[in-house]
Amino acid sequence: MANRRALVKRRKAVTNTRKITRTMQLIATARFQAAMSRATASQPYSAKLAEMIRDLSAVAEETQHPLMQTRDDVDRAALVVLTSNRGLCGSYNANVLRAAMAHIKAEDRSTETHMVGRKGESFFRFQELAMAQVTRDIDDKPRFDQVQPIADALMERFRQGEIASAHIAYTRFYTPGKQKAEIMQLLPLVEKAEPVEGDASEGAKSGYRAEYEFIPSPEELLDQLLPASVRMRLFQCFNDAAVSEQIARMVAMKAATEAAGDMIKNLTREYNRARQTHITMELLDIVGGANALA
Amino acid sequence: MASTNIGKVTQVIGSTLDAQFQEDQMPAIYNALKTELTRTIEGEVFTETLWCEVAQHLGGGRVRAVSLGSTDGLARGASIVDTGAPVSVPVGEETLGRVFNMVGETIDDRGPIEVKGRMPIHRMAPELKDISPKTELFETGIKVVDLLCPLVRGGKAGLFGGAGVGKTVIIQELIARLARFHSGYSCFAGVGERTREGNDLWLEMQDAKIGDTGRSVIDQTVMVFGQMNEPPGARLRVALSALTMAEHFRDETGADTLLFVDNIFRFSQAGSEVSALLGRMPSAVGYQPTLATEMGELQERITSTNRGAVTSIQAIYVPADDYTDPAPATAFAHLDSTVNLERSISEKGIYPAVDPLASSSRVVAPEYVGERHYRVARRVQQILQRNKDLQDIIAILGVDELSEEDRILVARARRIERFLSQAFFVAEQFTGMPGVNVTREDTIRSFEELCDGKWDHLSEQAFMYVGTIEDAARRDEELKQG
Repeated sequence: MANRRALVKRRKAVTNTRKITRTMQLIATARFQAAMSRATASQPYSAKLAEMIRDLSAVAEETQHPLMQTRDDVDRAALVVLTSNRGLCGSYNANVLRAAMAHIKAEDRSTETHMVGRKGESFFRFQELAMAQVTRDIDDKPRFDQVQPIADALMERFRQGEIASAHIAYTRFYTPGKQKAEIMQLLPLVEKAEPVEGDASEGAKSGYRAEYEFIPSPEELLDQLLPASVRMRLFQCFNDAAVSEQIARMVAMKAATEAAGDMIKNLTREYNRARQTHITMELLDIVGGANALA
Repeated sequence: MASTNIGKVTQVIGSTLDAQFQEDQMPAIYNALKTELTRTIEGEVFTETLWCEVAQHLGGGRVRAVSLGSTDGLARGASIVDTGAPVSVPVGEETLGRVFNMVGETIDDRGPIEVKGRMPIHRMAPELKDISPKTELFETGIKVVDLLCPLVRGGKAGLFGGAGVGKTVIIQELIARLARFHSGYSCFAGVGERTREGNDLWLEMQDAKIGDTGRSVIDQTVMVFGQMNEPPGARLRVALSALTMAEHFRDETGADTLLFVDNIFRFSQAGSEVSALLGRMPSAVGYQPTLATEMGELQERITSTNRGAVTSIQAIYVPADDYTDPAPATAFAHLDSTVNLERSISEKGIYPAVDPLASSSRVVAPEYVGERHYRVARRVQQILQRNKDLQDIIAILGVDELSEEDRILVARARRIERFLSQAFFVAEQFTGMPGVNVTREDTIRSFEELCDGKWDHLSEQAFMYVGTIEDAARRDEELKQG
């Protein structure tokens, strides 16, 4: 006979929690739609960009662009970690951070971390790990002008020989049903790491490759295009992460709402039983007392 | 004079009866009455002595008495003798090693007993000035008990629990652990529990040896039984019989005496069974209106005096796991140490199923157990309490929503929960694990290190049924190797 008052109170609390989680679920659904259209909207651009770079590198095969060079002489590496600013999104952050930690552990060079998102920041603080830079102001609508400085800074440092490589830990968006925390190499630039769906094979599929004449020279063009590509890749990662976050939140909040519903059901049952027991007991007492007096 | 006071049975109502005496020779309350009754079973005629105890004066020389045996075969008009004194039981060294029923007859088939003295089972509780104030820890070697609800030497401990959570096992374990290393005497009162359990205990005590003296535990023990099959009158008084014997050891020899009672709830239950028959109006939940008085009279006698100490350990059944039930609730207040057994813990397969948050002891305070023990005990409880608070959040949102600190705390709490389990000597044949004894020092150190997070890397499974924390580490190695 658990205390009935306590049961009522607890049920109320859970009901309120369910209200919150359900609202969060709806909001996440709406945001997911918006984030997904943003992510897909940038795809044609990055696809075309990738195609152009491919065409160019085919022509300028001999050139070794600075952004593509492997640097064995440098003993530092950079890792960008994309986490969310807010919680209540299930294991979204935990997965990214787990991937990031595994990467840091596997990397022989000392890694400097560029943290994006408050959740990752607090995790690193708790683990007492140093972060080179923390970005907290990128929300679920990442803008290009927010991402660009990060990419530029990385490229600059790479060119200067301060870092040997740059990776990014983020949640890659495949389909609304599949997202995965992954590590992608940003620098040195490699072709296969292209994150955007389907684009890498487009040119190859058609089997047709145009013979272009380049003015100015392919090298000069690459100088412009490769940084643009790095920026774009990073931006795409941010977009992917934003979509994935909303999906994770949607799923987590749906599960939470259901769990809360189950809990309410159980609490209601428990309460009803306690109430009935109490009534029976009171009746017994009254009847017993009356009989004893009679 | 007393033996000539003869009355007649005028009414028999279940386990109570009315008797008519001469108006100027009414037997006093609590006086024992004695009658012969004949019973015919399959053509054979048996003659038995039935003892009764005066409970009420009805006026006009009529008394109402509680029968201490079965009233089957008793008829109106039968003559009944006032013995002039309350029921008395044999006391003294001669009683050691024997088994009695509540009126002091031996029931172990080893013949009647010759004793120098008998004592009435109704006595006054020791006076205020005689009560001994000492507070000394009584180590049991059971981790959870020693850490969170240590027993007090000369104090009272209660084992609360619903049906089948392991009260009797714990009390038997305590007998095995304490009586074995105990220099004084032990008394065991079986109140309204299974006769089989009494038999098990009796046989086990014959096997068990005290230390390395080669003598059986039973040689230092008196057992008194009034089990489930006995009428309520017997179950109501059997605890007093055992207590009287224990009191004698305490007062006459000054030895430390252990008194085990299984199960005090049956005492209250028996009281409620006769209460209505005696014409009292039932009180809350159908209990007797005198519930608290009866409990108080019994419990106040179980105490240590300047002459000697009685340490009592009582099992208390909690009907329907409801701790607010009046019977267990009245027993609570009398105890120095309460060990609460919790069904949800036994369902997890953690035995002893002691609820670490609900169990407590008067001596868990820095001045009795020492600063370090106190601090560790409170930290363990804090961690477990925090874990309990987080359970709702985990149930709804999942463990990923917890902060880093909380996640570690929850993991640690789960390890502590499991580490509170322990293999028992008396359960060896069921679990296949040998019993483990852990000293208090080891217990405190183990939990301190566990709270400090020194052992977070061990798997949860490694903490089940091990002794010290080093044993857990060893088990972890074994588990890893498969």
